[in-house]
Amino acid sequence: MKKLGKLEYYLGTLIAITLFNTFLGEQFTSTTLVTILIALTVTYKGFIVIDHFMELKEANKNLRFLMRLYFIIFPSMIVISAFY
Amino acid sequence: MTSNPKNKSLGIFPKSWTVEHAGRVPGNIPIWVGILSELTEFGIFFAAYFIAKFYYPDIFSQGPQSLHTSLGVTNTIVLLASSYFMAKAMSFIRLNNKIKCERYLWFAFSCGCLYLVIKSWEFHWNSLQGLGPSTNEFFTVYYYMTFNHFIHVGWASCAILWVIFRLRSGAYSSKENSGLEALAVYWHMIDLMWILIFPLLYVLR
Repeated sequence: MKKLGKLEYYLGTLIAITLFNTFLGEQFTSTTLVTILIALTVTYKGFIVIDHFMELKEANKNLRFLMRLYFIIFPSMIVISAFY
Repeated sequence: MTSNPKNKSLGIFPKSWTVEHAGRVPGNIPIWVGILSELTEFGIFFAAYFIAKFYYPDIFSQGPQSLHTSLGVTNTIVLLASSYFMAKAMSFIRLNNKIKCERYLWFAFSCGCLYLVIKSWEFHWNSLQGLGPSTNEFFTVYYYMTFNHFIHVGWASCAILWVIFRLRSGAYSSKENSGLEALAVYWHMIDLMWILIFPLLYVLR
Protein backbone atom coordinates (compact mmCIF):
# COMPACT_ATOMS: atom_id res chain seq x y z
CA MET A 1 0.00 0.00 0.00
CA LYS A 2 1.23 3.48 -0.84
CA LYS A 3 2.58 5.33 2.19
CA LEU A 4 0.78 8.54 3.13
CA GLY A 5 2.81 11.68 2.59
CA LYS A 6 2.96 14.83 4.69
CA LEU A 7 0.26 16.59 2.67
CA GLU A 8 -2.16 13.69 3.19
CA TYR A 9 -1.44 13.76 6.93
CA TYR A 10 -2.14 17.51 7.11
CA LEU A 11 -5.35 17.15 5.09
CA GLY A 12 -6.54 14.43 7.47
CA THR A 13 -5.71 16.63 10.47
CA LEU A 14 -7.57 19.62 9.01
CA ILE A 15 -10.68 17.55 8.31
CA ALA A 16 -10.56 15.96 11.79
CA ILE A 17 -10.33 19.41 13.44
CA THR A 18 -13.25 20.68 11.33
CA LEU A 19 -15.44 17.76 12.40
CA PHE A 20 -14.33 18.16 16.03
CA ASN A 21 -15.21 21.89 15.99
CA THR A 22 -18.62 21.12 14.50
CA PHE A 23 -19.21 18.48 17.17
CA LEU A 24 -18.32 21.02 19.88
CA GLY A 25 -20.65 23.62 18.39
CA GLU A 26 -23.56 21.19 17.98
CA GLN A 27 -23.30 19.30 21.27
CA PHE A 28 -22.32 22.01 23.73
CA THR A 29 -23.65 25.45 24.44
CA SER A 30 -20.95 27.98 23.69
CA THR A 31 -19.19 28.23 27.01
CA THR A 32 -16.01 30.26 27.29
CA LEU A 33 -13.96 27.05 27.30
CA VAL A 34 -15.56 25.75 24.08
CA THR A 35 -15.05 29.13 22.40
CA ILE A 36 -11.36 29.24 23.41
CA LEU A 37 -10.90 25.66 22.17
CA ILE A 38 -12.46 26.52 18.81
CA ALA A 39 -10.34 29.68 18.50
CA LEU A 40 -7.15 27.70 19.20
CA THR A 41 -8.02 25.05 16.63
CA VAL A 42 -8.81 27.74 14.02
CA THR A 43 -5.34 29.22 14.62
CA TYR A 44 -3.77 25.78 14.27
CA LYS A 45 -5.67 25.10 11.02
CA GLY A 46 -4.56 28.45 9.65
CA PHE A 47 -0.93 27.75 10.55
CA ILE A 48 -1.03 24.35 8.80
CA VAL A 49 -2.35 25.87 5.55
CA ILE A 50 0.09 28.82 5.73
CA ASP A 51 3.17 26.70 6.46
CA HIS A 52 2.54 23.51 4.50
CA PHE A 53 0.04 24.24 1.71
CA MET A 54 1.13 27.83 0.96
CA GLU A 55 4.68 26.70 1.75
CA LEU A 56 5.55 29.92 3.56
CA LYS A 57 7.53 28.01 6.20
CA GLU A 58 10.48 27.80 3.83
CA ALA A 59 9.74 31.08 2.04
CA ASN A 60 9.49 34.80 2.80
CA LYS A 61 9.56 35.27 6.58
CA ASN A 62 7.74 38.65 6.47
CA LEU A 63 4.82 37.25 4.48
CA ARG A 64 4.70 34.26 6.82
CA PHE A 65 4.67 36.61 9.83
CA LEU A 66 1.80 38.68 8.38
CA MET A 67 -0.27 35.61 7.51
CA ARG A 68 0.27 34.01 10.91
CA LEU A 69 -0.47 37.32 12.65
CA TYR A 70 -3.87 37.35 10.88
CA PHE A 71 -4.60 33.94 12.38
CA ILE A 72 -3.66 35.20 15.83
CA ILE A 73 -5.63 38.48 15.72
CA PHE A 74 -9.01 37.14 14.57
CA PRO A 75 -9.09 33.98 16.72
CA SER A 76 -8.17 36.27 19.65
CA MET A 77 -11.24 38.33 18.80
CA ILE A 78 -13.27 35.09 18.92
CA VAL A 79 -12.00 34.59 22.49
CA ILE A 80 -12.81 38.20 23.41
CA SER A 81 -16.32 37.80 21.97
CA ALA A 82 -16.93 34.95 24.44
CA PHE A 83 -16.93 37.54 27.22
CA TYR A 84 -19.62 39.80 25.63
CA MET B 1 11.82 26.64 -7.04
CA THR B 2 14.23 29.22 -8.41
CA SER B 3 13.52 32.80 -7.39
CA ASN B 4 11.54 34.78 -9.90
CA PRO B 5 13.28 37.81 -11.43
CA LYS B 6 9.98 39.71 -11.12
CA ASN B 7 10.36 39.57 -7.33
CA LYS B 8 13.47 41.71 -7.53
CA SER B 9 12.37 44.11 -10.22
CA LEU B 10 9.88 46.33 -8.40
CA GLY B 11 12.42 47.84 -6.01
CA ILE B 12 9.75 49.55 -3.92
CA PHE B 13 10.24 47.60 -0.68
CA PRO B 14 12.75 48.15 2.14
CA LYS B 15 15.96 46.10 2.02
CA SER B 16 14.72 43.80 4.79
CA TRP B 17 11.95 42.69 2.41
CA THR B 18 14.25 41.67 -0.41
CA VAL B 19 14.51 38.03 -1.46
CA GLU B 20 18.10 37.92 -0.17
CA HIS B 21 17.10 39.01 3.35
CA ALA B 22 13.58 37.66 3.86
CA GLY B 23 13.45 34.62 1.56
CA ARG B 24 11.74 33.96 -1.76
CA VAL B 25 8.22 35.20 -2.50
CA PRO B 26 5.96 32.31 -3.60
CA GLY B 27 4.32 33.19 -6.93
CA ASN B 28 5.08 36.84 -7.57
CA ILE B 29 4.80 40.21 -5.81
CA PRO B 30 1.63 41.42 -7.63
CA ILE B 31 -0.35 38.38 -6.41
CA TRP B 32 0.75 39.13 -2.84
CA VAL B 33 -0.43 42.73 -3.19
CA GLY B 34 -3.77 41.22 -4.22
CA ILE B 35 -3.75 38.69 -1.38
CA LEU B 36 -2.96 41.31 1.28
CA SER B 37 -5.72 43.54 -0.15
CA GLU B 38 -8.19 40.65 0.03
CA LEU B 39 -7.12 39.90 3.60
CA THR B 40 -7.80 43.55 4.48
CA GLU B 41 -11.23 43.33 2.83
CA PHE B 42 -12.16 40.18 4.74
CA GLY B 43 -10.63 41.68 7.89
CA ILE B 44 -13.19 44.50 7.64
CA PHE B 45 -15.97 41.89 7.30
CA PHE B 46 -14.71 40.06 10.39
CA ALA B 47 -14.50 43.35 12.34
CA ALA B 48 -18.10 44.11 11.26
CA TYR B 49 -19.13 40.64 12.51
CA PHE B 50 -17.60 41.19 15.96
CA ILE B 51 -19.08 44.70 16.28
CA ALA B 52 -22.55 43.45 15.26
CA LYS B 53 -22.24 40.49 17.65
CA PHE B 54 -21.37 42.89 20.46
CA TYR B 55 -24.59 44.88 19.88
CA TYR B 56 -26.87 41.90 19.07
CA PRO B 57 -25.55 38.92 21.12
CA ASP B 58 -28.90 37.07 21.21
CA ILE B 59 -29.46 37.27 17.45
CA PHE B 60 -25.90 36.05 16.81
CA SER B 61 -26.36 33.24 19.31
CA GLN B 62 -29.52 32.00 17.58
CA GLY B 63 -28.42 32.67 13.98
CA PRO B 64 -26.19 29.60 13.43
CA GLN B 65 -29.00 27.31 14.63
CA SER B 66 -31.09 28.36 11.61
CA LEU B 67 -28.35 27.41 9.14
CA HIS B 68 -27.85 24.06 7.41
CA THR B 69 -24.68 23.05 9.32
CA SER B 70 -24.06 19.89 7.23
CA LEU B 71 -23.74 21.99 4.07
CA GLY B 72 -21.26 24.29 5.84
CA VAL B 73 -19.19 21.31 7.03
CA THR B 74 -19.26 19.70 3.57
CA ASN B 75 -18.11 22.93 1.94
CA THR B 76 -15.27 23.24 4.46
CA ILE B 77 -14.05 19.73 3.61
CA VAL B 78 -14.42 20.42 -0.13
CA LEU B 79 -12.28 23.57 0.15
CA LEU B 80 -9.65 21.82 2.30
CA ALA B 81 -9.47 19.04 -0.31
CA SER B 82 -9.12 21.64 -3.08
CA SER B 83 -6.16 23.21 -1.24
CA TYR B 84 -4.59 19.75 -0.97
CA PHE B 85 -5.08 19.16 -4.72
CA MET B 86 -3.53 22.54 -5.49
CA ALA B 87 -0.50 21.72 -3.32
CA LYS B 88 -0.17 18.36 -5.13
CA ALA B 89 -0.35 20.14 -8.52
CA MET B 90 2.54 22.38 -7.39
CA SER B 91 4.59 19.40 -6.26
CA PHE B 92 4.11 17.66 -9.63
CA ILE B 93 5.04 20.69 -11.77
CA ARG B 94 8.29 20.87 -9.78
CA LEU B 95 8.94 17.30 -10.91
CA ASN B 96 8.07 18.40 -14.46
CA ASN B 97 5.18 15.90 -14.42
CA LYS B 98 2.68 18.00 -16.36
CA ILE B 99 0.11 15.23 -16.77
CA LYS B 100 -0.29 14.71 -13.03
CA CYS B 101 -0.10 18.45 -12.42
CA GLU B 102 -3.02 19.00 -14.81
CA ARG B 103 -4.96 16.13 -13.24
CA TYR B 104 -4.71 17.71 -9.79
CA LEU B 105 -5.65 21.12 -11.19
CA TRP B 106 -8.83 19.55 -12.59
CA PHE B 107 -9.51 18.02 -9.16
CA ALA B 108 -9.10 21.47 -7.56
CA PHE B 109 -11.36 23.01 -10.22
CA SER B 110 -13.99 20.31 -9.56
CA CYS B 111 -13.86 21.12 -5.84
CA GLY B 112 -14.33 24.82 -6.65
CA CYS B 113 -17.41 23.99 -8.76
CA LEU B 114 -18.76 21.63 -6.10
CA TYR B 115 -18.37 24.37 -3.50
CA LEU B 116 -20.34 26.80 -5.71
CA VAL B 117 -23.13 24.23 -6.26
CA ILE B 118 -23.40 23.42 -2.54
CA LYS B 119 -23.35 27.12 -1.60
CA SER B 120 -26.03 27.92 -4.18
CA TRP B 121 -28.14 25.08 -2.79
CA GLU B 122 -27.62 26.47 0.73
CA PHE B 123 -28.76 29.95 -0.36
CA HIS B 124 -31.82 28.33 -1.97
CA TRP B 125 -32.50 26.25 1.18
CA ASN B 126 -32.25 29.41 3.29
CA SER B 127 -34.79 31.20 1.11
CA LEU B 128 -37.18 28.22 1.42
CA GLN B 129 -36.95 28.69 5.21
CA GLY B 130 -37.79 32.37 4.74
CA LEU B 131 -34.25 33.47 5.57
CA GLY B 132 -32.67 36.33 3.62
CA PRO B 133 -30.19 39.19 3.94
CA SER B 134 -32.78 41.39 5.65
CA THR B 135 -34.04 38.75 8.12
CA ASN B 136 -31.88 40.11 10.95
CA GLU B 137 -28.38 41.46 11.64
CA PHE B 138 -26.84 37.95 11.71
CA PHE B 139 -28.13 37.11 8.25
CA THR B 140 -27.04 40.49 6.86
CA VAL B 141 -23.47 39.67 7.97
CA TYR B 142 -23.86 36.03 6.84
CA TYR B 143 -24.89 36.97 3.29
CA TYR B 144 -22.36 39.79 3.01
CA MET B 145 -19.51 37.47 4.06
CA THR B 146 -20.51 34.24 2.31
CA PHE B 147 -21.62 35.81 -0.99
CA ASN B 148 -18.34 37.72 -1.17
CA HIS B 149 -16.43 34.50 -0.54
CA PHE B 150 -18.63 32.76 -3.15
CA ILE B 151 -17.54 35.32 -5.78
CA HIS B 152 -13.89 34.79 -4.87
CA VAL B 153 -14.20 31.00 -5.31
CA GLY B 154 -15.99 31.62 -8.65
CA TRP B 155 -13.31 33.78 -10.22
CA ALA B 156 -10.45 31.71 -8.77
CA SER B 157 -12.05 28.61 -10.36
CA CYS B 158 -12.03 30.45 -13.70
CA ALA B 159 -8.35 31.24 -13.05
CA ILE B 160 -7.67 27.49 -12.63
CA LEU B 161 -9.08 26.95 -16.15
CA TRP B 162 -6.76 29.66 -17.46
CA VAL B 163 -3.76 28.05 -15.72
CA ILE B 164 -4.67 24.63 -17.19
CA PHE B 165 -4.77 26.26 -20.64
CA ARG B 166 -1.33 27.84 -20.00
CA LEU B 167 0.03 24.53 -18.70
CA ARG B 168 -1.12 22.77 -21.88
CA SER B 169 0.50 25.45 -24.01
CA GLY B 170 3.83 24.76 -22.30
CA ALA B 171 4.06 27.93 -20.20
CA TYR B 172 5.02 26.09 -17.00
CA SER B 173 7.85 23.73 -16.23
CA SER B 174 9.92 22.60 -13.26
CA LYS B 175 12.09 25.71 -13.74
CA GLU B 176 9.43 28.36 -14.44
CA ASN B 177 6.09 28.00 -12.69
CA SER B 178 5.58 31.34 -10.91
CA GLY B 179 2.19 31.87 -12.62
CA LEU B 180 0.91 28.51 -11.39
CA GLU B 181 2.31 29.16 -7.92
CA ALA B 182 0.65 32.61 -7.84
CA LEU B 183 -2.73 30.94 -8.44
CA ALA B 184 -1.93 28.29 -5.80
CA VAL B 185 -1.21 30.84 -3.04
CA TYR B 186 -4.33 32.83 -4.01
CA TRP B 187 -6.43 29.66 -3.82
CA HIS B 188 -4.99 28.84 -0.38
CA MET B 189 -5.87 32.37 0.75
CA ILE B 190 -9.51 31.74 -0.21
CA ASP B 191 -9.41 28.50 1.78
CA LEU B 192 -7.94 30.37 4.76
CA MET B 193 -10.79 32.89 4.70
CA TRP B 194 -13.33 30.06 4.82
CA ILE B 195 -11.42 28.52 7.77
CA LEU B 196 -12.28 31.74 9.66
CA ILE B 197 -15.79 32.22 8.26
CA PHE B 198 -16.96 28.68 9.08
CA PRO B 199 -16.67 28.81 12.91
CA LEU B 200 -17.95 32.40 13.06
CA LEU B 201 -21.17 31.67 11.17
CA TYR B 202 -21.86 27.96 11.73
CA VAL B 203 -20.24 26.87 14.99
CA LEU B 204 -20.06 29.65 17.58
CA ARG B 205 -23.33 30.27 19.39
